[in-house]
Amino acid sequence: FFQHFRGRKNRCYRLAVRSVRRAFVRSTKARREKKRFLRALWITRIEAASLEHGLKYPAFISNLLKSQVELNRKVLADLAIYEPKTFKSLAALAQRRRQEGFLAALGDGKEPEGIFSRIVHHH
Amino acid sequence: VAKTSLTSPPWPEVKLPDPVEEAKYHAEVVRKVNGLISAGQYGRLFAVVHFASKQWKITNEDLIMMDNVLEAECGDRIRMEKVLLVGADDFTLVGRPLLGKDLVRVEATVIEKTESWPKVNVRFWRRHNFQRKKIIANPQTVLRINTIEIYPCLS
Repeated sequence: FFQHFRGRKNRCYRLAVRSVRRAFVRSTKARREKKRFLRALWITRIEAASLEHGLKYPAFISNLLKSQVELNRKVLADLAIYEPKTFKSLAALAQRRRQEGFLAALGDGKEPEGIFSRIVHHH
Repeated sequence: VAKTSLTSPPWPEVKLPDPVEEAKYHAEVVRKVNGLISAGQYGRLFAVVHFASKQWKITNEDLIMMDNVLEAECGDRIRMEKVLLVGADDFTLVGRPLLGKDLVRVEATVIEKTESWPKVNVRFWRRHNFQRKKIIANPQTVLRINTIEIYPCLS
């Protein structure tokens, strides 16, 4: 387990025992952190790819989810690397959904009934 | 009424295209893609499949390894449903969230059912006389994706 270590840890039993134990503990903890690290990596890749198409990452992801496309970040990162045309079409879909959302948020443009607004002039 | 900072929204105003013209454009695109599929003018197909609680991007002659046990024997053919995306060079079909079963067909065969390499799980607190050691060997299955087929049943 320890023949590739550095210094006397690969030859002397006493030192090797300690370093092997630390190596095992660190690998068990790293297996849990690896998932977080990979997800952050995917997110940065997707962010870079969507910025190339003129969209920010939160806008991209939220609009994709709102249009009921449930692709996870790993696959989105792979698509952005190996299938640029597909990623461009997904970005266009998200952009279109974003604009539709803005229009829906604006509404009719009229004021609600029963309310009047008054402008006070100061002299 | 005077113009304040809140009269117009902070995002630039965008006009959506005409819905009637859009419907015509969509129908034409669907017809073209249907024609391409039925003529068979696509190269390699890739698909995004949801399998074993994970999403995979797969093509033909692909190997996939999953960290669990499948109830199929070695050499069994499996048809994967739950296809999220299918694409080729010129067109992609995006499911919302899934594509229909009469549109795509993904075939796979089970090749291998082994165990992973023995992973060592050690917890250790120094100076507290606390040490636990556990060796875990997960069962794994290896699948080979044979074919991905699409049928021209778009609407």
